[in-house]
Amino acid sequence: MEYDIRLKLSYDYDAPVGGGRHQVRVAPRTLAGQQRVVAASVDFAPRPAERSDFADFFGNPVTAIAYRDPHDELDVRMSARVTVTRPQPGIDLSPAPGELRSEILAVRSLGAETPHHFLAASRHAPLDEAITDFARACLSPPTSTFGLAEALCRLIHEEFVYDGDATTVSTKAVEAFQLRSGVCQDFSHVMIAGLRGLGVPAGYVSGFLRTIPPVGQPRLEGADAMHAWVRVWCGRDAGWREFDPTNGILAGNDHITVGYGRDYGDVAPIVGVLKMTGGQAIRHAVDVVPVG
Amino acid sequence: MERRPSGRSQARPPAAPLLDAYQPVPGVHDEMVDAAGNPRPAWAFFIDALERLGVDELSRRFGRADQYLRDAGVYYRVYDHRGEIEREWPLAHVPLLIAEDEWNGIAAGLVERADLYEEIVADIYGDGRLVRDGLLPAELVAASPEFLRPMVGTKPAGGRFLHFCAFELGRGPNGNWWVLGDRTQAPSGAGFALENRVATTRALSDIYGDMHVHRLAGFFRGFRDSLLAQADAGSRAAILTPGPHNETYFEHAYIARYLGMMLLEGEDLTVAGGRLMVRTVSGLKPVGVLWRRLDAAFSDPLEFNPESRIGTPGLAEALRRGSAIVVNALGSGILETRALLAFLPTIARALNGRELALPSIATWWCGQARERRHVRDNFERMMIGPALSTRLAFEDDGATVLGSALDADARAGLLERLERDGGSLVAQEAVKLSTTPVYVQGSLEPRPATLRVYLARTADGWTVMPGGFARIGFSLDPTAIAMQRGGQAADVWVVSDRPVPQDTLLPREGEEFRRNVPGSLPSRAAENLLWLGRYVERSEETVRILRAYHVRLAETSDPDLPLLAYVRDSLAPYGIDVGEAIPDALVASLDSAVYSAGRIRDRFSPDGWLALRDLSKTIHDFEERITPGDDATRAMTVLLRKLAGFSGLLHENMYRFTGWRFLEIGRRIERGIQMSRSLGRLTTKAAPDGALDMMLEIGDSVLTHRRQYNVRSGRRTVLDLLALDPLNPRSLLFQLDRLKSEVELLPGGSPSNMTAATKEVLRLHTALAVREPADLTPETLDGLVDGLSRVYDELARFYFA
Repeated sequence: MEYDIRLKLSYDYDAPVGGGRHQVRVAPRTLAGQQRVVAASVDFAPRPAERSDFADFFGNPVTAIAYRDPHDELDVRMSARVTVTRPQPGIDLSPAPGELRSEILAVRSLGAETPHHFLAASRHAPLDEAITDFARACLSPPTSTFGLAEALCRLIHEEFVYDGDATTVSTKAVEAFQLRSGVCQDFSHVMIAGLRGLGVPAGYVSGFLRTIPPVGQPRLEGADAMHAWVRVWCGRDAGWREFDPTNGILAGNDHITVGYGRDYGDVAPIVGVLKMTGGQAIRHAVDVVPVG
Repeated sequence: MERRPSGRSQARPPAAPLLDAYQPVPGVHDEMVDAAGNPRPAWAFFIDALERLGVDELSRRFGRADQYLRDAGVYYRVYDHRGEIEREWPLAHVPLLIAEDEWNGIAAGLVERADLYEEIVADIYGDGRLVRDGLLPAELVAASPEFLRPMVGTKPAGGRFLHFCAFELGRGPNGNWWVLGDRTQAPSGAGFALENRVATTRALSDIYGDMHVHRLAGFFRGFRDSLLAQADAGSRAAILTPGPHNETYFEHAYIARYLGMMLLEGEDLTVAGGRLMVRTVSGLKPVGVLWRRLDAAFSDPLEFNPESRIGTPGLAEALRRGSAIVVNALGSGILETRALLAFLPTIARALNGRELALPSIATWWCGQARERRHVRDNFERMMIGPALSTRLAFEDDGATVLGSALDADARAGLLERLERDGGSLVAQEAVKLSTTPVYVQGSLEPRPATLRVYLARTADGWTVMPGGFARIGFSLDPTAIAMQRGGQAADVWVVSDRPVPQDTLLPREGEEFRRNVPGSLPSRAAENLLWLGRYVERSEETVRILRAYHVRLAETSDPDLPLLAYVRDSLAPYGIDVGEAIPDALVASLDSAVYSAGRIRDRFSPDGWLALRDLSKTIHDFEERITPGDDATRAMTVLLRKLAGFSGLLHENMYRFTGWRFLEIGRRIERGIQMSRSLGRLTTKAAPDGALDMMLEIGDSVLTHRRQYNVRSGRRTVLDLLALDPLNPRSLLFQLDRLKSEVELLPGGSPSNMTAATKEVLRLHTALAVREPADLTPETLDGLVDGLSRVYDELARFYFA
């Protein structure tokens, strides 16, 4: 599938902010055999005093910007054309979760794709006994690592209520788990925490999701939002597989990847430090339009 | 002075009460005496000398050392249920003595270790050979919060990760030293080691002089010179502190002062064009070398801990571009990970081809089956704690437990966790630390000790501080060593048979003197200095008014007397309630002065700081007990004297450079504002009888007025003397004269290219200088208050923003 993606993030500050520095992760990345970025651009208004583009540890494209002069708004615009051709899921080659450990230990590398980075608790996905127990229920009847992840993905989709008002961006997995509600970010964190609790490496994927409007209704402009799902290391042979607990499905060609991380903190669309005295209003709009 | 070689046995004096009563613990190595109770060679001369002094003299001398520490304001912070408090430095007065030969072995072993650590950290953030070859588990590195992914692949500027390290050593029962832990992130205590030395030699100067003890200054000089040499032309070397709330802030300020380097907080730094810069009153200036005392995780909220309020956004990116040398490079903290010690022997064999000369304490990471079994089989004598801990086993707030000390439930719980989640645990063999004598009420008693040794990298490689910092338990329990739990610190003397170099921080004769780039006052320091000037002055003016009030109250006992009621009502809008003998507003103003001064302690002499602390203590004490009237009059006189003492220290001793200018400007602005207000209040025609005399008293000008005018005080003469007389240091014109001179000398403040502040001062100055006393209405005086406030605003906009 080919898409045109547009994103606009707007910040209105109550009082002018005196300079600031941000890192922005909103542009899709090219992934061999899965996703190709035909063209992408990230622009800012007002124009930043400094700008640099680089890839972070996980290979995600980052734009760092700095302002020196006071300003009272910030607009971030990203537009990209992307082709997504995920391979068809083949037969399940993943070992049982109990056998995963020896395969993890055999990976003698600290490269960004190795499972080691995705095992320990992280800021937004702390290990939690209740979440681990919740995930453990997916182990019976006995299943493969892939089977475990798929079952947990479906269980979260079934038991959790999607509610944009229940949580905030700083909500941790434990809170969302207790509420049994939240948004894609929360569902992903719960799934990550549950899998890690069982010794299965799990990471966070930020990206875009093409939404298909109900039959007979037009696609609404800007109605989409950034999305999040989960990648799970299913052993040496199966490698990383992606699951979308918000929708209870495997990630497919409607899922456009922006970044990989241990949790939201590694791939937040925008992080920043501002000299700020008042509050701010944030608006964002996303369009994912299939081409052709 | 008679010089006696140390290390050679002297004839024992007939009575040796200290030594005879000393009872080392059986089965434990004692530093001072051997198993037969005889002094070890390095100690023989020393202990004889103590015996000769006698108990009374020793107690007197140790008291002198404590007095020195109090006078020097040496403190550290502790945290408990009451929050944070400053504690006096707990010096154990008897130094730990180590013979030079033995010391040389320790030093060589630590240099080998530091070199090995440099290789390991460079590999973790670089090639990854150790992980690839199976010498280091990837899982352990990846799980560590000190593995800073944004720094992976970055070769630090200058090529090295490590520049300053500390190692914690302990000696076991067999007499061998072991490394208990490694400090590679931001080792603390080197400055305290210096203060320990000064205090200890205060007490034992003659003994110290008679023995050949290695000096510490050369170590610091070498490191300072090496830091300054690495800062490229035009850039600065600076020390980065987390700020006054850090437990060892005293030491940061002390080292900065001792080495003549800027002391910065995260907000002083910024990144421009990829370079690390310090915000100064002369604009942004490049920083080439940064000695950080701040943990890396807090150093850049954009890339590490986003909650950090003490970091510098953009620092990590600037360092990836090689903008500055950081001591030690961000990410070096991973070497402190306790479980890493388990892999050190194998890594040393693989990289060096031999065992470490100075081994670490035996350590097992429980993430491996064989090691886990060993720990289970030897559970009783294992100290078991968090694998990723970067703290020492005996000072991690109980996170580490001794197997034999657990009850049945705790034991079962830990054994279960060992099986389920062994990777999160590390075990170390419990060691019985050696003991060293402490002086307790007239006798020497053995206490367990650890030794912290410092290494600094110079152009010639690692140098080892010949001495260090011994931590001594307050009881025989080896876990009681942590200072946060009542442990003590002692000086460490490395004792030679031969004379040692007499080093100081000053350059040796004929040696070139290396000077840090001057003339760059950080904006935050300037702001704090200005406010210190303002708060001290505000306090003084308030005290003067209150004294004039209470002396009249004492005479009449009638607070409703027209003049007193008038003063009461006119002070009320400023939050000053004369009904309280010591108004809250006055206490707040002095507290604010202490706060401002506390943020720039590196710029103060210890005397200045102590004077200010004394003021603060006095007023808080007064607040509890002083009553209005006569009592308050006397209290105000005491406060005035102390304030004058503090101002005197500052103005007599501070180098007249930019920092002093900001202090002076703050003082003049505030005095101008306060005097304008008092004059407006007390010289208006509506003021009650006696107001003019009161004004002269507040303006400290009673005698001058009598001499100059030889008449009773009238409105005109009072205004002439207190507003327009250029020779009266309390007059308004005098303040503006001083302000004019100082603002013109600030960076960018030259008369040819005037700042807005300079223009404002000139305008105010000219307007006042041409006035006659009769023109000075309350409105003109109000206008002056506004004008001076504008001067402050313009200065703040230009220099502090």
